[in-house]
Amino acid sequence: MEEHGQSLWREAWRDLMHRRLIRVCLGIIACFCLVALYGEIVYRYYQFVDRTPSYSQVNLSERYLPPSLLRHPFATGGDNRLWSGVKAMAYRPLGTDNLGRDVLQRTIQGTRIAFLVGVVTSLIAIPIGVLLGCISGYFGKWVDDGIVWLYSTVESIPGLLFILAISMVVGKGIMGVYLGIGLTTWVGLCRLLRAEVMKHRDRAYVMAARSLGYHPWRIIFRHILPNVFHIVIITFSIRFPAAIGTEVFMSFLGIGVQGEPSWGIMIGNARLRLWQGVWWEMAAVSAVILLVVLAFNLVGDALRDALDPRLRSKES
Amino acid sequence: MTSFIIRRVLYMIPMVLGVILITFMLFNVVGGSPASMALGKNVSPQALEEFDEQRGFNKPVIFGWWTTTRAFQERDVQEPVLLVAGTNYPVQFLFPLRPDSRYRLRVEVRSKTAGATVRFQTNAVIAASSVLFHDDSQRWKWIEFQFKPIPRAPGAGSVLVSVEGGALELRNVRLERRMPHCLDSQLVHYFKTLACFDLGTSLSTNEKVTTMLKRGVLPSLALSVPIFFGGLVLAVGLALVCAYWRNRWPDRIFVFLAVALMSVNYLVWIIFGQFFMAYKWHWFPIWGFESWGYLLLPVTIGILSGLGGNLRFYRTVILDEIYKDYVRTAFAKGVSPAGVLFKHVLPNAMIPIVTNTVIALPFLYTGNLLLESFFGIPGLGGLSINAINSSDVDVVRGVVLVGAILYVVASLVTDLCYALVDPRVKLR
Repeated sequence: MEEHGQSLWREAWRDLMHRRLIRVCLGIIACFCLVALYGEIVYRYYQFVDRTPSYSQVNLSERYLPPSLLRHPFATGGDNRLWSGVKAMAYRPLGTDNLGRDVLQRTIQGTRIAFLVGVVTSLIAIPIGVLLGCISGYFGKWVDDGIVWLYSTVESIPGLLFILAISMVVGKGIMGVYLGIGLTTWVGLCRLLRAEVMKHRDRAYVMAARSLGYHPWRIIFRHILPNVFHIVIITFSIRFPAAIGTEVFMSFLGIGVQGEPSWGIMIGNARLRLWQGVWWEMAAVSAVILLVVLAFNLVGDALRDALDPRLRSKES
Repeated sequence: MTSFIIRRVLYMIPMVLGVILITFMLFNVVGGSPASMALGKNVSPQALEEFDEQRGFNKPVIFGWWTTTRAFQERDVQEPVLLVAGTNYPVQFLFPLRPDSRYRLRVEVRSKTAGATVRFQTNAVIAASSVLFHDDSQRWKWIEFQFKPIPRAPGAGSVLVSVEGGALELRNVRLERRMPHCLDSQLVHYFKTLACFDLGTSLSTNEKVTTMLKRGVLPSLALSVPIFFGGLVLAVGLALVCAYWRNRWPDRIFVFLAVALMSVNYLVWIIFGQFFMAYKWHWFPIWGFESWGYLLLPVTIGILSGLGGNLRFYRTVILDEIYKDYVRTAFAKGVSPAGVLFKHVLPNAMIPIVTNTVIALPFLYTGNLLLESFFGIPGLGGLSINAINSSDVDVVRGVVLVGAILYVVASLVTDLCYALVDPRVKLR
């Protein structure tokens, strides 16, 4: 059992690594995580020294600098001439916005927010989905009826409006984003797991565990869950980019992240300048979002094909 | 069949109840104070109380005789206050109490010396009351004082808590109002208003939410119906193309394009569409809702942005069918590929397609939140976004509630259609 289970994961991994496109996508995702980590460190640093972060610092003398990699190619100074020369050359490589703030640094901070949103909403939604799905699939009867009622009710409320309403009630800010997305997006996982656990409930290994007198919790979480865990992984890879998209949307509307550069806020800001011909902020953010979401979508697809091709038709 | 329909209809009742309960929980229980959310922080407590009175937010949440009032803010007395003999603690009301209700003041006290007496004094129908403490056991004890205020009488604006013959401490001062009936609660009020098809009034425009919804439905539908059906036809058509050349280059290109289309953020679609197609190239009008020409661009953007996901979904649906035995048989007896695809595969694939379509129909009514606000279409999507931005609780609740109930109805219709179309569906 154990060996077979491991070989499934190893086989899936080998499948993924055999495809060049997927290797590139995994690289992009790794970069995304590293950049988010770097953004977090920068954010913590500015919090620690208690200064206005450089990515929020208004600098009116440097408004609307276009992107350039060779801004001051011959400027050198300071002790370490090589390093300061490189720094001067790549000064504000992606340009500045209407308040003279560095687009690159703000995009990095946006990456940090996007990563946080993806992870935290998953940490809210996936445990709910796993717990309810497993319980209702395993116990059946009135437990199942109750949970099916719960998720069909949640499902029937228009998704985006529900998210926005929750975050309106919780209050503007990143907490509202976390709770809004986290509390509404567990339904799909719950339903998939419920159906899958139902199939496993009457299999021989579960019967054996039951006849050994194991506690239902132990059967569910030690025996059944590892056999259906690929669904959780696939769901995670699919919902991550969706959560990022929703966060961008909410921050754009002004009910998401407050006072920090997030991708949505940058888009909202850049949109007004687009008419004046300031395209670089918009282009940078759109390109980064496209890259990250595309990478996640492609990896999610590949994961699904490798781990459980049957899932393809069950969810859109 | 009849019993199936009846059972399925009966199943709607818990769903609708659930939706009502969830909206109630969201806006009445978790939401804290809708009044301060709507009116802001710097408003007089009286204005807040009037807002609550108008919308029934000053009732007990589900059940109870006593309800809170804003006439006295509890948080004023968090730390224990020490009162020695002869001193008093005035509980000032922020606005005149209602003469038609009974009130009670609850205080938690702890005697410092034996024989202390607490007296409550106010100009009210029950004028004064006192509690004597015989012991000096240092335990906190709740005492309460009920009274019915007399309007405009001097001294009715406060209750004096005075101490005689000893010293004691008090904390947690609470003022509560008695309800005429213990079931006169927010939940019952909510059900009552819903039973009259009353969704409340908007805060910002003071209009009935129902009239706002009615007015917004048509523009929303004018936008979302073409997007929906255009997208459906285009996606199914492309999915058939993909299925026909499956795993060869047209299929691969389309599948990759679909993922790429899906990955472009919705905002980016709209902003670039509006900027390039309308502003730069003058293909379409930029903003407004005057003739059908104004709908062209939002519809195009809507179709394009949804195409990726739809194409993938319908492609898998059709591919699920294409490997079945009857397809092989049809090919074997010499039916042309196009014939197989259109006459054999498509009708069978229609079942999931139709199910998917019917279940998506209620979402048409909210329209496209962003498209509407970007292109100035006065539909429900733009309405909801404005309402959320201005914390207009009743409008948001109305849109959410109606959308959810429509979804419940649509899922009933889907199940019935499914049972009618596909005899294999077991009528359990």
